[in-house]
Amino acid sequence: MMSTYYAGLFADIGILFLGAMSVYIILATGQLSLGNAGFMGIGAYVASFLTVEMHLPLTAALVASALVAAVIGVIVGFPALRLKGIYLAIATLGFGEVVRSFLLNFDRMGGAGGFHGMKHVSLEYIWTWAGLIFLLIVMLERSRLWLEMRAVHDDETAANLVGLNTTMTKVGAFGSGAAVAAISGGLFAHHYVYIEPGNFGFERSIDFVLAVILGGSTVGAGAAVGAALLVLLPEWLRFLADWRLAAFGVLLVLVLLTRRQGILDRPLLDKLRFRRARS
Amino acid sequence: MILTVRGLEVFYGPIRAVRCIDLDIEAGEIVALIGANGAGKTTTVRAIAGLAPFLGAITYNGKSLTPNSAEHNLRAGISLVPEGRGILGRMTVEDNLNLGTYCRKDQAQAAKDIDGMFERFPILRERRHSLASLLSGGEQQMLAIARALLSRPRLLLLDEPSLGLAPKTTVAVFELISSLRRDGLTVLLVEQKARQTLKIADRAYLLETGRVVTSGSAAELANDSLMTQAFLGGTPSHETGAP
Repeated sequence: MMSTYYAGLFADIGILFLGAMSVYIILATGQLSLGNAGFMGIGAYVASFLTVEMHLPLTAALVASALVAAVIGVIVGFPALRLKGIYLAIATLGFGEVVRSFLLNFDRMGGAGGFHGMKHVSLEYIWTWAGLIFLLIVMLERSRLWLEMRAVHDDETAANLVGLNTTMTKVGAFGSGAAVAAISGGLFAHHYVYIEPGNFGFERSIDFVLAVILGGSTVGAGAAVGAALLVLLPEWLRFLADWRLAAFGVLLVLVLLTRRQGILDRPLLDKLRFRRARS
Repeated sequence: MILTVRGLEVFYGPIRAVRCIDLDIEAGEIVALIGANGAGKTTTVRAIAGLAPFLGAITYNGKSLTPNSAEHNLRAGISLVPEGRGILGRMTVEDNLNLGTYCRKDQAQAAKDIDGMFERFPILRERRHSLASLLSGGEQQMLAIARALLSRPRLLLLDEPSLGLAPKTTVAVFELISSLRRDGLTVLLVEQKARQTLKIADRAYLLETGRVVTSGSAAELANDSLMTQAFLGGTPSHETGAP
């Protein structure tokens, strides 16, 4: 039987893993979103409203919240097409802050006072969703669509020249990423059974991006490694007391200096698979 | 006519990069656009490929093309090999070729056509699992042309295919372009290497600062004073008596 402490940590990893995957999907088309906490917030509030006020089962509420966030993601994705790089990152950051400010003033869902009444969800349920979304990403990585996404990521003009619909690919990635972030939010709300707008601020978006960059931004499994490290490292460094967050920062910088592509990448994954096959 | 261009104008902000260009291309021809840097050659072919907004009329196979419609134009049979080749360097040779068939519905035939490309370019078969960025300049150009051919174009736009290539490789690329005519393909070739271009082209247009300054058959242009002064480094052959 897992202790409550570790169950809490693993739940956090699962939720962060989902958030990181939401960034990974968008990043796969060459777009950096710093606003995924906004989509997570939308998912958290919509799912909570549906389970608490409408008495919908959680799974149905999560699916509905993912659909709502996907539609909003597509709407955000279209103007985002005109922006690239740092400008897109700042614009999505702005979107995240708009969502947070909206929730802060949305009294129907508690406003600054937050919202509660959700039923606690099990660790297994969180990881079932994380596993399911990860499986979908692994399948996506082996599909034709993934080649299209990589082409758009690498060179949009070249992708255009081979007849790819780059608009559809990029907007679709935004919608899918938003849906995954919303599921992460719905699970967060039902794990902590209380949410407030501050849960879905800029720092949360940075955590998602950091998990992907640290774990490896070129393979889906990197999001899992990054999420686990981001949650567990500060815990393992507790013996450093007040210095633990500084040490955590130093470790992050060291890892990124030695492995710019993140801890996991395709060659390392292939090597691990080869070893496993040999043994 | 497979392609007619009338009054083509392309602006980059306030700058008029192409000024009222007219072109006519017959099916099966190799037509060259020759000009110095900044003459508007690349902008013209980008507009035809659907990658740039334009004013004026571009008619392909009797149908008007609209600006910024690259995907539609490709499906209609216009394929561009851009300046710099436009290959996806972080993908393998095979993935690049696979992408060339994405606009096609007949995927079974497309797979056979990829094998056909490997027959035509054996070096690509040898290096099919290599990253495209690791190929030499000439091999990358072969890959770019092979990928464009896999979309089964009727009109192939080639933008400075010899750029950055060694002289020997340039000759091989020009031979390859010449061989495309035998496949019944129409080629619009943008080049600065006028002498070699005129050897394989049927007709050519000379562009300067966004305008066509002269045009005609390749043989005529080889003796045109504007062309010889600007690109061929001498006087027309009829004045010197050279063949």
